[in-house]
Amino acid sequence: MSLPKPVMRGLLAKRLKFHLPIAFGVAITTFAVTEPRKKAYANFYKNYDAVKEFKAMREAGIFESVRPAGK
Amino acid sequence: MAHPSQLGFQDAASPVMEELLHFHDHTLMIVFLISTLVLYIIVAMVTTKLTDKLILDSQVIEIIWTLLPAMILILIALPSLRILYLMDEINDPHLTIKAMGHQWYWSYEYTDYEDLGFDSYMIPTQDLAPGQFRLLETDHRMVVPLNSPTRILISADDVLHSWAVPSLGIKMDAVPGRLNQTAFITSRPGVFFGQCSEICGANHSFMPIVVEAVPLEHFENWSSMMLQDT
Repeated sequence: MSLPKPVMRGLLAKRLKFHLPIAFGVAITTFAVTEPRKKAYANFYKNYDAVKEFKAMREAGIFESVRPAGK
Repeated sequence: MAHPSQLGFQDAASPVMEELLHFHDHTLMIVFLISTLVLYIIVAMVTTKLTDKLILDSQVIEIIWTLLPAMILILIALPSLRILYLMDEINDPHLTIKAMGHQWYWSYEYTDYEDLGFDSYMIPTQDLAPGQFRLLETDHRMVVPLNSPTRILISADDVLHSWAVPSLGIKMDAVPGRLNQTAFITSRPGVFFGQCSEICGANHSFMPIVVEAVPLEHFENWSSMMLQDT
């Protein structure tokens, strides 16, 4: 008896169908970096109290134009 | 300021620098995406047992690898141009400061109301107080009011220098005989460091820049005090 006919066509397309989604899937995971960073900046400034931060920095003595209160 | 083994940008202290940071993330992400995709395709091509005998005139793939890069380039160009024009918006600054580069120090002039000018020399390493940063601290800092659009005019007295403060997203060449203008807004109070960014001689690495952002009333007190001292 003769052997069943092997698959002769569409071999590359079959390989591509398997590999391309994986390739793009791996590449797309780099999106995971940009959005969290933007959110981090937005969250930082949302409730940012510049006066409070300035007072804390002033007391720490990092400024030259402003001495800590009481000095 | 920069810290040891740092890889990325310093935290942004001005809105423009925030935009630049996000644009850099966006573009670097695209670069990584393309590199990952190409690497994966190379590995897939190299590890296949299939051989393609139809190697001429593949219209489909040609169209794909022409259109896809074109679209990616547009995806990069649009935010890039947006930031470029954003950086050029100088809307009515509240203050103008002149920064002059010399060998090897910066001098700052605040001449909007009175004639205030002072030099800013690096503090030598042996004279540093505990907690101060080596090669970054100066004897007089450029103080600016917080959240105020500030214009800075940059020039030089002798050779080329460059006034740069990374966390504010500023780098502008100081060219003798030329006035370069840029503007910034500090989003938060603090002390921001930079270094001369154009080779200018023996002590090019030893003429840093320090910008101090404080609320307006403290800036006014400081400038009155400086005027009395000079």
